Amino acid sequence: MTTLALDIKDLVKDYGSTRAVDHVSLELRAGEVLGFLGPNGAGKSTTLRLALGLLRPTSGTIAVLGHPAGSDEARAKVAYVAGDVSLWPQLTGADTLTLLAALHGDSDAAYTAQLIERFELDPRKRMRAYSKGNRQKVALIGAFATRAEVLLLDEPTSGLDPLMDRVFRECVGEARERGQAILLSSHMLSEVEHLCSRVAMIRSGQLFTVADVAQLRTRVGVEFDVTGDADGLDAIEGVTHVESLPDGARVRVVGPPGAFFAALATRNVTAVHGRESSLEEIFLSFYDESNVS
Amino acid sequence: MTRAELGSLYDRSLFEQRRGIVGWVSGIAFFCLVMLAMYPTIHANTSFSKLIDAYPEALRKLFDISDYTTGPGYLRTEVFSFMAPLLVTIYAILQGSDLLAGEEERRTIDLLLANPISRRRVVLEKWLALATGVIVLSLVLELLLGLAGPLFELHLGWRQLSAAVLGTALFALFGGTFALAWGAATGARGAARGVSAAVVIAMYLLSALAQLVAALKSFEWASLWYHALGGDPLTTGFHYGHLGVLVVFIGALLAAAVRLFERRDLTA
Repeated sequence: MTTLALDIKDLVKDYGSTRAVDHVSLELRAGEVLGFLGPNGAGKSTTLRLALGLLRPTSGTIAVLGHPAGSDEARAKVAYVAGDVSLWPQLTGADTLTLLAALHGDSDAAYTAQLIERFELDPRKRMRAYSKGNRQKVALIGAFATRAEVLLLDEPTSGLDPLMDRVFRECVGEARERGQAILLSSHMLSEVEHLCSRVAMIRSGQLFTVADVAQLRTRVGVEFDVTGDADGLDAIEGVTHVESLPDGARVRVVGPPGAFFAALATRNVTAVHGRESSLEEIFLSFYDESNVS
Repeated sequence: MTRAELGSLYDRSLFEQRRGIVGWVSGIAFFCLVMLAMYPTIHANTSFSKLIDAYPEALRKLFDISDYTTGPGYLRTEVFSFMAPLLVTIYAILQGSDLLAGEEERRTIDLLLANPISRRRVVLEKWLALATGVIVLSLVLELLLGLAGPLFELHLGWRQLSAAVLGTALFALFGGTFALAWGAATGARGAARGVSAAVVIAMYLLSALAQLVAALKSFEWASLWYHALGGDPLTTGFHYGHLGVLVVFIGALLAAAVRLFERRDLTA
């Protein structure tokens, strides 16, 4: 059995009477990019900070490749990028990257130089002169240049423009190909959708879903716009939702669509357009569901 | 140090302090030179002795004024009774409070501790940077007074001067280590500065007032200022017992800083 990149078991973190993380269990496999989704204040950053050992859990355990979170062995295998990056204001970009490489001790200098070029970073400027996006780039370059087996990225693209966002996605792909595992915390669903095969969703400190994106899509179903005779579609097996449109209806079908297509074949239907749910819709659907429960 | 040589936390901490150290070295050097330059006038003028003798005894004790027209007496009063220890200690408290708590307030501690560098090593390397700064300022004090003193007719034994400078350095390092430990325990830079300053001032006052108030004399030992400079090192040289007390306190504070920092939640 291969060791999990990150193994979180029944994690609880209390701040006084406030429970920030509530019995969270989560596994990150080697070479996997796991999306960690949730609104602001849901407990994403706290979970990541617990995994780094910056915070001590109230109860539960976290292991990084078998080593307790916060131990030297665990941190040797981790690289981290925070959402709102703070770096040493007196140092230049190049100084900061030199320092980060020296501190981590396992960094690829040639890849660093390549990343500086790809992220179009001017490393000669001091940190205090950098914009938020440029500080973000320095932290990302520092993290991707390490050979850390686990990357913990907390809202890592919040200051990047769309072009740099694309470079970031390429880097995530390259890291995955090298076998690095990535926990990508985000509230930008499109980002997670493009990069992650699995997602974990958290709300009010509680993890309410961990699943493959494809599996989630199946659970939420496919949406069809039906033009023509759409009366009584809600009675068909698999149809969960029908919304009237001026020339037909919008129908959501969950599970095998055979019965739905068989019913359409017997009607006067002129067009059918199918559309897979976006992760955003999936997220909202699960979020509403968990709010109700 | 060039920027390319930034290889460790210690290097970076020193690199960030470099301008501060240059400023403090200049300030202390200027202060010492002014004090030295005034000495020939005082030394040659016997009426100063009469003037000092005419001061109320309480005032003389409070400001440690005796033998004012001799080299050691003059330096004790003008340099080591208050100003030099105070300057080096202020530097140490400012640095000590900033090294951990400042890093935490600026939120750069996250990225630092995400690396395979233990909290213990962070505290120790930061403390070494603090100690280096204190040593640099103390060496300036020692060399300037020892080398430039004779140019102003002020002759001191190196051993006695070294004893006074070491007392000053250890007291400053105590103040700085206290600020570092408070910052390690709380992450609050302002509070680390305030509390450390209060402790240092209380110790100075206890030591100074013990010369005036008989009831306080028996509590003098509780002041580290007394252990640093109370034995008149400029005349009598090293008092290893007293200096040892300072070393023990500094060691204990450093151990506490490591322990407290290792156990704490570092909040964003």
